[in-house]
Amino acid sequence: MAMGYSPAVVLKHVVKSFGKISAVDNVELEIKPSEIFGLLGPNGSGKSTVLKMLLGLVQPDAGLVEVFGVDVKRDPVAVKRQVGYVPESPRLYEFLTGLEYLDFIGDVFGMTAEEKRERISEYLKALELEGREGDMISGYSQGMKQKVALVSALLHKPKLLILDEPLNGLDPKSARIVKDLLHELKAQGVTTLMSTHVLEIAEAICDRIAIMYQGRILALGSMDELRQKASLPGSGLEDIFLKLTGAGDIKAVVEELLK
Amino acid sequence: MNWKVVAHLIRVDMKSGRLIRGGRLARALERKLLTYVLYGGALVLGVAVGCLVGFFYSSVSTVDPQAKTLFDLGLASLSLSLPTLVLIYSLVFTMMQQIQRSGARFTIQAPYWLPITWNEHTLASMLANLLGFPLISIAFIGPALIAVSFFMGHVAFAVLTFSTILASAFMASAITEIFRTVQVRFIGAVYKSSGRAAVWVRFAGSLLFFIAFYVVYFTLTSGTGAIAFVQTIASAQSAVWFVPFFWLGMFLHSFINGMLWQTLAFLVLSLLLVLSLFYAAVSLNKRFGLYEPPSITVSRGVYAPRVGLLGRLGFSTTEAALIRKDVKAFTRRRELMYVFVLPIVIILFPLLQTMGVMGQESPSAVPPVFVLPLIFLMPSAILAVYLGSVMIGEEGEAMWRIYSAPISAESVVKSKYFFIILFSILVITATGIVGVVVFRPSLRATIIAFTESFLLMFALSAISLTIGIKGSDFRELPRPRMIRREWGLANLIACFVAALAILAPFVSYAFTVIAWAPTIDPYPATAVSAVISIVITFVAYRMALRNARELLAKAEM
Repeated sequence: MAMGYSPAVVLKHVVKSFGKISAVDNVELEIKPSEIFGLLGPNGSGKSTVLKMLLGLVQPDAGLVEVFGVDVKRDPVAVKRQVGYVPESPRLYEFLTGLEYLDFIGDVFGMTAEEKRERISEYLKALELEGREGDMISGYSQGMKQKVALVSALLHKPKLLILDEPLNGLDPKSARIVKDLLHELKAQGVTTLMSTHVLEIAEAICDRIAIMYQGRILALGSMDELRQKASLPGSGLEDIFLKLTGAGDIKAVVEELLK
Repeated sequence: MNWKVVAHLIRVDMKSGRLIRGGRLARALERKLLTYVLYGGALVLGVAVGCLVGFFYSSVSTVDPQAKTLFDLGLASLSLSLPTLVLIYSLVFTMMQQIQRSGARFTIQAPYWLPITWNEHTLASMLANLLGFPLISIAFIGPALIAVSFFMGHVAFAVLTFSTILASAFMASAITEIFRTVQVRFIGAVYKSSGRAAVWVRFAGSLLFFIAFYVVYFTLTSGTGAIAFVQTIASAQSAVWFVPFFWLGMFLHSFINGMLWQTLAFLVLSLLLVLSLFYAAVSLNKRFGLYEPPSITVSRGVYAPRVGLLGRLGFSTTEAALIRKDVKAFTRRRELMYVFVLPIVIILFPLLQTMGVMGQESPSAVPPVFVLPLIFLMPSAILAVYLGSVMIGEEGEAMWRIYSAPISAESVVKSKYFFIILFSILVITATGIVGVVVFRPSLRATIIAFTESFLLMFALSAISLTIGIKGSDFRELPRPRMIRREWGLANLIACFVAALAILAPFVSYAFTVIAWAPTIDPYPATAVSAVISIVITFVAYRMALRNARELLAKAEM
């Protein structure tokens, strides 16, 4: 390491299997502070498992997982204090109102009453949840639930954001707000690790991208580096992704369907 | 009406049972042959039983004409009461099926985007409601009646009886369908108009419904027997012939008595009733079948974080937040509200018996020495055992929030244990006051009863929490499971053994009371009991901490 910066996230020789299925196979990864990092891959490629391991929700069979220099296995609570997490399909406490839920999150992360009041109203306004914050979450639409989950991840000003399909179900305006917010947070030094299937989003907002397939990292780098690796100069992320993951001849599949 | 569509919809409805049965789907149970074998078996069994009874009737009637008359009368009154009986039990079973489905997280929605009419949807739903016990029982009763009628020479009457019980079952299903649709709309309207009070309306409504259900159930089961019930129906329906639900029975009654005009009148009225119930169900489905209940608004206005009492009691903000969240869960989630029903029923049962309400001729002579432990110890102990076992599992799939939040195992166990204690103390206070007011026990008995209920509560809460963490089940399909079955059973056994150990010092005292021997001082027994309880609580709490650490470190979702 030339300039002694300490990485936000480190994964060294990480291995995880579920029975006979190898979910993560010898993954090595380093994410720099204030970087927006995209983790892409087909269904079942191991993305969500990697994200969960960063929070200590899944224990690796072998290897080291560190967040801001803290071994996740050794002190998961210390890691969780610095992380904001949104899972792929966040189940919220549906019997609470949006406001009660966020109040609960604020208390869990030890925020003061003043901090909670200020930030909750800020985020509710920004994501257009005002007016419905007193309703029980069971009555919210999917998009509204996603917004509440996002706010709950951002509320305590985490140093690392782990987002699994963060824009699921969001309307275009809210999706744009979240994208701009991620850029703003990057400027403030927040690191973001996101997993998504929407390649346009990854291409537009990620500084670096890793493409996972069958538990391994196939390619890692900026868009230019990925184009070089795939030998597809000037191509978009979709073509690179399909080539690297060996998705085959899409045209033939479409023609077969149209028969 | 497209009958093929109706048949397809019924098949889909039959498969919705997968949601209720849960994950492990036995494919063999869904094979056509096995699906219909129950109904076929009931039919064959019905014919066999009918033939046996018929042979018996033939042999008895040749030697004993009096027995023949008795037999004729008995079967006639059974046949006359059958339409009403089938209506009642089909109503109970179809409603139970609806309750079971509404408990499942995902219920069948009318496929409104497909070319299906509301008539077809409603008919399919009503017929599917009858699958299971109602249809199996009809498949048994009908052929049995017809078979026996060949020996008795009442074939036409038996066929008519069979038709009326089919119509009764159909009517019951139509009533259930109407009730379900109206209920959704009505409850939605109540929530909408109640505003923030909707949460309490739901809480109180659910409690009242179940308490009323149990009181009616106990009153019925401790009252008259089945034969008396049948006789009452057969004799009473002539007196209340104007009630539409008895018209099918009245039709049979008129037929057997040779009253032609009345027979025709009740037949036409019954057919009109069945049709009107069906079309009422169709029109309600048309209107409210896709009705979405409005969301419950709990609060409006400016957000003001509060410094709670829990903080002043020494709980960290995280622990206080968890306790507050659980209080809301148990007063807002319908499946958790049931927890409070059992202690109330346990108090109501002896009280009603004591007051002679439940079909007893005189008030119970059960001595207070046996009723007191029931009222003081049982409700809080049962609540502690149940609450402890579900306190972690009730988080369900939202458990990811606890997993991913900076919450230590110590905080989880402390807050969950305090919650159980808090609710159990409330129950001890309430049941204790009822016990003291109704039975007026001595001061000594009151002190010991209260002390023992607290000792039981502390120990059983710790044990059940320990097992609840170990055996937690976060699956929510088809309904929140909360604890794995084998661990639920282990919890019951462990708590039962612990309760016996804590109460064991009182064995000699209880013996002196039963034997009317000179009573011994029970205070030393209380002291020994306290020591046993403290040891059990301490050990179980430590085990709960260990289990919680394990749970949070191996949170593989």
